[in-house]
Amino acid sequence: MKDEKIKIYINDKPYIVKSGQTIMQAADSIGFHIPRLCYHPKLSVEGACRVCIVQVQGMNNYVASCAFPIQDGMKIYTNTPELRQARRDIVELLLDNHPEDCHTCERNSNCELQRLAMSMGIKKRHFVGEKKHYNRDLSSPSIVRDPDKCILCGRCVRICSEIQNVHTLTQAYRGFKTVVIPAFDEDLAESVCSTCGQCINVCPTAAFIEKSYTQELFEKLNDNSIVKVVQFAPSVRAAIGEAFGFEPGTQKENELVAALRKLGFDYVFDTQFGADLTIMEEASEFLERLQNKQKLPMITSCSSAWMKYLEQFHSDLIENISTCKSPMSMMGALIKTYFADKIKRDKKEILSVAVMCCTAKKYEAARPELMIDDVRGVDIVVTTREIAWMIKSAGIDFVNIKGKGFDNPLGLSSGGGAIFGVTGGVMEAAIRTAYELYTGETLIEIELEELRGFNNIREGKIMMEGKEIRVAVAHGLGNASKLLEIVRKEPDRYHFIEIMGCPGGCIGGGGQPYAGSSSIPLDENVLKKRAEALYGLDRNKTIRRCHENPNIQKLYKEFLGRPLSSLSHKLLHTHYSAKKPEGILPAEFKVR
Amino acid sequence: MNNKEFVIILCNGSSCLKNKSNDIKNELIKQLEKNNLLSKVEIHLSGCLGMCAKGPIMIINPGYVIYGNLKVENIETIVQRHLIKRELISEFIIKEDHLFNRFFRIFGDVNFFGRQMRITLRNCGIINPESIDDYLSVRGYEALAKVLNEMTPAQVIEEVKKSGLRGRGGGGFPTGKKWELTAKVEAKEKYVICNADEGDPGAFMDRSAIEGDPHTILEGMIIGGYAIGSQKGIIYIRAEYPLAIKRLEKAINDARAEGFLGNNILGSNFSFDIEIRLGAGAFVCGEETALIHSIEGYRGMPRPRPPYPAQSGLFEKPTLINNVETWANIPVIILEGADWFSSIGTEKSKGTKVFALAGNVVNTGLIEVPMGITLRQIIYEIGGGIPNNKKFKAVQTGGPSGGCLPEQYLDTPVDYESLIKAGSIMGSGGMIVMDENTCMVNIAKFFLEFTQNESCGKCTPCREGTKRMLEILERITEGKGEVGDIEKLERLGNMIKKASLCGLGQSAPNPVLSTIKNFREEYEEHIKDRKCRAGVCQRLLRYIITDKCIGCGLCKKVCPVKAITGEPKSIHKIDETKCIKCGLCYSKCKFSAIKKD
Amino acid sequence: MATPLEIIKQKRAQAVKRIIEKGYLSRFRIYVGMATCEIAAGSADVLTVFKEAIEKGILKDVYLSQKGCAGRCNLEPTIEIIEEGKIPVKYGKITPERAKEIINRHLLKGEIIKEWIIN
Repeated sequence: MKDEKIKIYINDKPYIVKSGQTIMQAADSIGFHIPRLCYHPKLSVEGACRVCIVQVQGMNNYVASCAFPIQDGMKIYTNTPELRQARRDIVELLLDNHPEDCHTCERNSNCELQRLAMSMGIKKRHFVGEKKHYNRDLSSPSIVRDPDKCILCGRCVRICSEIQNVHTLTQAYRGFKTVVIPAFDEDLAESVCSTCGQCINVCPTAAFIEKSYTQELFEKLNDNSIVKVVQFAPSVRAAIGEAFGFEPGTQKENELVAALRKLGFDYVFDTQFGADLTIMEEASEFLERLQNKQKLPMITSCSSAWMKYLEQFHSDLIENISTCKSPMSMMGALIKTYFADKIKRDKKEILSVAVMCCTAKKYEAARPELMIDDVRGVDIVVTTREIAWMIKSAGIDFVNIKGKGFDNPLGLSSGGGAIFGVTGGVMEAAIRTAYELYTGETLIEIELEELRGFNNIREGKIMMEGKEIRVAVAHGLGNASKLLEIVRKEPDRYHFIEIMGCPGGCIGGGGQPYAGSSSIPLDENVLKKRAEALYGLDRNKTIRRCHENPNIQKLYKEFLGRPLSSLSHKLLHTHYSAKKPEGILPAEFKVR
Repeated sequence: MNNKEFVIILCNGSSCLKNKSNDIKNELIKQLEKNNLLSKVEIHLSGCLGMCAKGPIMIINPGYVIYGNLKVENIETIVQRHLIKRELISEFIIKEDHLFNRFFRIFGDVNFFGRQMRITLRNCGIINPESIDDYLSVRGYEALAKVLNEMTPAQVIEEVKKSGLRGRGGGGFPTGKKWELTAKVEAKEKYVICNADEGDPGAFMDRSAIEGDPHTILEGMIIGGYAIGSQKGIIYIRAEYPLAIKRLEKAINDARAEGFLGNNILGSNFSFDIEIRLGAGAFVCGEETALIHSIEGYRGMPRPRPPYPAQSGLFEKPTLINNVETWANIPVIILEGADWFSSIGTEKSKGTKVFALAGNVVNTGLIEVPMGITLRQIIYEIGGGIPNNKKFKAVQTGGPSGGCLPEQYLDTPVDYESLIKAGSIMGSGGMIVMDENTCMVNIAKFFLEFTQNESCGKCTPCREGTKRMLEILERITEGKGEVGDIEKLERLGNMIKKASLCGLGQSAPNPVLSTIKNFREEYEEHIKDRKCRAGVCQRLLRYIITDKCIGCGLCKKVCPVKAITGEPKSIHKIDETKCIKCGLCYSKCKFSAIKKD
Repeated sequence: MATPLEIIKQKRAQAVKRIIEKGYLSRFRIYVGMATCEIAAGSADVLTVFKEAIEKGILKDVYLSQKGCAGRCNLEPTIEIIEEGKIPVKYGKITPERAKEIINRHLLKGEIIKEWIIN
């Protein structure tokens, strides 16, 4: 039935297409790109924007091609003058209720609405009138909500509920006053928002953007009384090229190091070093739990959106969470202690900056549990997008820049650290190390194919001295909660679980470059190419196991002692606690 | 009627008219005159009584004696024997025990009621709605028993299909077909929903039906559940209807206690129960997919169809949704039979329709009329015409999404197709009559304001488009209309109609488009002449000082914008460009020297 | 076992019996409109007048019941007085005062009050 071929007519020309598709899918398959806005292949069909309307013979009204199924013999018209005018008018209506401040907008030249308006050929305006006005919500450390720019396509609402299962956002009020808000119109900071930033990724305009720290950073970079240290995450190098017109999957590690130096950083370190260190601690913690028959399965804790989500919605499983800080925060702790000692500067004189693929890291960096005595481990977090803008803004020719290597001692990393950025990578790196720590033997088959790819939940097994270790991986918070349900039902099913809060892992983070005109947000092909860039980095390294990183070994010898030592615990581990899901009920609401 | 001894009701339905009921009326008057009885007898002409096969029909009260198959020559006998000798004439008596007879028996001699035909509202106003005994006494739950006794689900669906019943919520989709589609889908769980989310401004059909006769709805739903293979019914009703909810709750409890709900209903294998879900009162939740979302706990927003609820509805299970009035028809169809039901109405629209008759009409209220009755009959014969000797201007059917029809459409028969052809819709049953003092631009603005406020905000045409239309209408009524505004309204309106996601948006421009179509000159007057002929649009009024002015200067003093000039004791003048039409001078002038134009 | 139709006939017979026990066969049956619209127009007070009259023994041989809305909105509250063998009397715009008068003049003295009749 599914593979049955049927004949449809598009603009009077016959085509043979697969049955069971929507008009839009069928048209796509034969090279007709019907204009669209609210549609996203990963999300449920909303049918809200009405930009993708087509005419179907025998039907009075236009139909939304994203939702309407094709039938044998159906006659579809995609481009009649009447339809063009209707579509044009619909897009004009969107513009009429939009600030149209393109030249000062964060999304300028990378805005779906802008592109759409251009392609509609809107020259004259017919219906100009009142524009809505709402205050911007600046409360969140990670995300800015600007309802004025919202065109109510509902993608953010859908990704937040359908993919991320967080349900922060919903449409509220009616008619012209309709607006997307967190429950009870609470501030984002008070809401259940996990700060993952996927709303930013899918937003066609700038109704959601990251909280920008670029101005603050530019100022600090000019302050010669402090030492400016920066680290960047694995996924940043896999994606930043896209912001400069490179093909997705072009890794730009050394170019970024060079550009950051040019921007004014004194030291450029690699978060992958932190990743290696995380594996040392995490693998040790896992083995300790395994041997002492403590709480299993152990669940990874490097994804900050995931941790906020867990504290709010799954706090019964906090004991299962690894106490390890994220690689970024481990790096921050070391920069403010180990490295400060090395350069003989007070930790207060060091500016620790992290360039992340992630908006949630802005929230994480501010968590009070992560303070190093009285200072933050990471002072400023900027996203891939922000740093790309800063590089452009500072006039640095990123395209032709000559690559440079990281500074040491926190710049050397293993292949295991590189693949931290892709879903399954943490688990893969952990197994490489845990196996050896447990058995004393070297794991030969280190590329664990069953943990790679983008299936929602993936399972794997490894034998360690006759003991079967069962592991699972989930990406995206929606998949994470599904996996947790399995854990609740079958507590003994897994020993070790990796969860990343964003679809695809950090490579699909909320701070990554926007989709270009020829792709869509969260395009799986783009994610695959970014993942491949990280796998390539791994393959090209001579050191592929975290514990073999000589600088890590040196760090333990010189400073930490051994994994899980008391200093490790002080600097590299943290704790989590249940948080009331704020925003579900207003404060004054009493449950009887 | 008070000093009359008899009230004689003659059926004046089209079928009886064909059977020469007019001749009978004339003969009756002749005979009454001859016997000097005219002062003692009151004659009423009723609408169709649903006894067409035995017409012409005459009903004599007191006693509610029904004579049928009458011929002109029988009239003398009736006058002599029934009215003078006071005996019943058994050979003329027809035995007709229709469900709505009880209502007619009590109310039939009042023009307002007699011209109606009560099928769904048959028990409203004559039984105690809080007593299941009352309902049982008027053959309540007999249709359910009949269905369980001797009909297969397929037969029930066939009967509903044969009846020609169409959805009374507005769309007019054939009910039997909807049932069949839902029945066909194989699923363990299915749902039956009663849509009681009545949201049209001024409409109260569903509320009255539920408050007057809640068990009918339950019985219809249980039969529907049996027909499609569902065990679970949900009534979605707005929380603003506390009495209706209370009566439904009582009805459900009583029905459970009597074994009409619950397991093994009336000793059969069929089990069914009903629960009530309250809506927060959003107009859009009357749209079936929005209603389903609301029951599921989500924001009431429609989604694209297909899939239709019949395939994937509540909790993604096959779901049968009908509105209150549709459900209330079901027991009648089962008991009286599809053939009888389909004898009422027009070729494509069978049965009756309930309307909430409101506006500039003498008798406002809730009416139920056979399909095919004309708008004129409703407004003049049932509604009693336009009050205060005003002229009729337009009638708006279908609630806020219907169209306004002028005089020349008054003879439009009320059925789904004819109303659409005329440029309006049946809708769920709002009917607003407007007289000459109504400004059509203002009316269009009023309805659009409602739909704009009630738009769920999901789709662009409805959310943004109706707002722009509203803005244009606002400026027209404020005297700031521009040439080209009418065309813009039409352009937007036609686009919104064809491009919107759900019925709300698709019908929202109707009041505007239909008033432009039928009253274009009023729009043009507003725009070009800055004139509102109905005198409704405040900002379009002109105030002129006539020569009655004695130059006292009071108007000059009160004018807030100093638009009035003039020397004492001479005639003052109003500067049109400054005047804000606040009317203060007009109300303050002691000499009635200021005139509105 | 009884068929559904047999069961419903039994139930109806029982229901009718219960209604009769409540006094349905009294000389007068009085119905007071008690839908939301009627109540908003003041019908609850009208109903109270009749109730009290019955309780105090002023009204005898009557059957008092509430009913839904018959649909004649602008004449609400409405009541019906039904006497077997006579034309049912429908009154509109009934206030408690008018209700008292209806008790005195119509129900006790048999006078139909023409001015308030719906026609």
